[in-house]
Amino acid sequence: MAAELRFAKSHEWVRPEASGLATVGISAYAVEALTDLVFMQLPPVGKKVKAGESIGEIESVKAVSDLYAPVSGEIVEVNTALPGALETLGTDPYGAGWIVRIKPDDASEMAKLLDQSAYDALVKS
Amino acid sequence: MTSVLPVWWDGPADGPTNMAADELLADEALRRCSPVVRVYGWTEPTVSLGAFQPLADAMGCEAIAGLPLVRRPSGGGAILHGTDLTYAVAVPKAHPWGQTPQVLYDAMHETMAATLRDLGIAARLHAPSGDDPPATVFLCFRRRSPGDLVAAMPGRPPQADDPKVMGSAQRRLGSAVVQHGSLLLGPNTAVGPEARDGGLAAVDSAGRRWASGELASSWLERVAARLGARLAPQGHPVGEPPLGGLAERSRHFASAAWTGRR
Repeated sequence: MAAELRFAKSHEWVRPEASGLATVGISAYAVEALTDLVFMQLPPVGKKVKAGESIGEIESVKAVSDLYAPVSGEIVEVNTALPGALETLGTDPYGAGWIVRIKPDDASEMAKLLDQSAYDALVKS
Repeated sequence: MTSVLPVWWDGPADGPTNMAADELLADEALRRCSPVVRVYGWTEPTVSLGAFQPLADAMGCEAIAGLPLVRRPSGGGAILHGTDLTYAVAVPKAHPWGQTPQVLYDAMHETMAATLRDLGIAARLHAPSGDDPPATVFLCFRRRSPGDLVAAMPGRPPQADDPKVMGSAQRRLGSAVVQHGSLLLGPNTAVGPEARDGGLAAVDSAGRRWASGELASSWLERVAARLGARLAPQGHPVGEPPLGGLAERSRHFASAAWTGRR
């Protein structure tokens, strides 16, 4: 896993890109805990979100869960291939399983999120 | 250790009111920092759709034509309420039962299986098999997922196609989890025969007429015991003071925008 990833306590990850955008997905732990995924609803491009706001929903055979924005900003890109290939979230959660790209209002917000070791400790607790 | 398990024995209500009350239950779980349970009925036979089931699938099902319909915030398949024991349990995500979906699912289903076995029903948790119907099947009781409650038919050893008698589904909110569930007591004659399942009546060699009250009490005593708690019946329906907010939330679940979201 790339060291530059940051994690929200709600299990979304975020990766700062050289372009200034923030790529967002959900952690391998969260995907495994949800079990078999059956449906995903993504946000529209252009939507402005605040950190902690819902940006979509994902349904597994057991549960519907909200996906939360780990940082505030504007959604500028959505992985439209994902709802038709939900298995990608399990096979490549930190790569092809990305969900949205956000243009952050304040890039320093990412530093407030958990680093890899802190997130690992959270999911083991 | 949780010292009490608060339980609301709510009477019958319409679909939007029941969904709103279940959502309020999450607030109550967070306020108390503990699991809370609600057992309730329906004023008339009602279809509840899973959060993302296409409304067109319900419109195309002739067996349920004309019945009131409400969309749940939780996932899963359509349930035909009216001859079932319906419950909701809400748990803070920080609680051991709230951390992953399967834990809460199993806690509620294992305790019900034990309760039913004491009553002579050969109930068990479903183990997945390659022959399970797909998760897109319209009716909840025609689906199978790991941990669903199934029961062997009278006079027959357990088999892979034993009928499902109980299913549950969750809505995982920011800080809490709400799980809805339904134990089918007997066939629902308000729906056409092609959508009718037998429930407990079909797997009971004694041919008993099942009612929810005493069965729910026995079950929830087991749930409470598993938590190391005692049952604490609440003296007012969910949504009445001190909780409040029921009417406003009900309007959301009654809206065409919510029902037709997919």
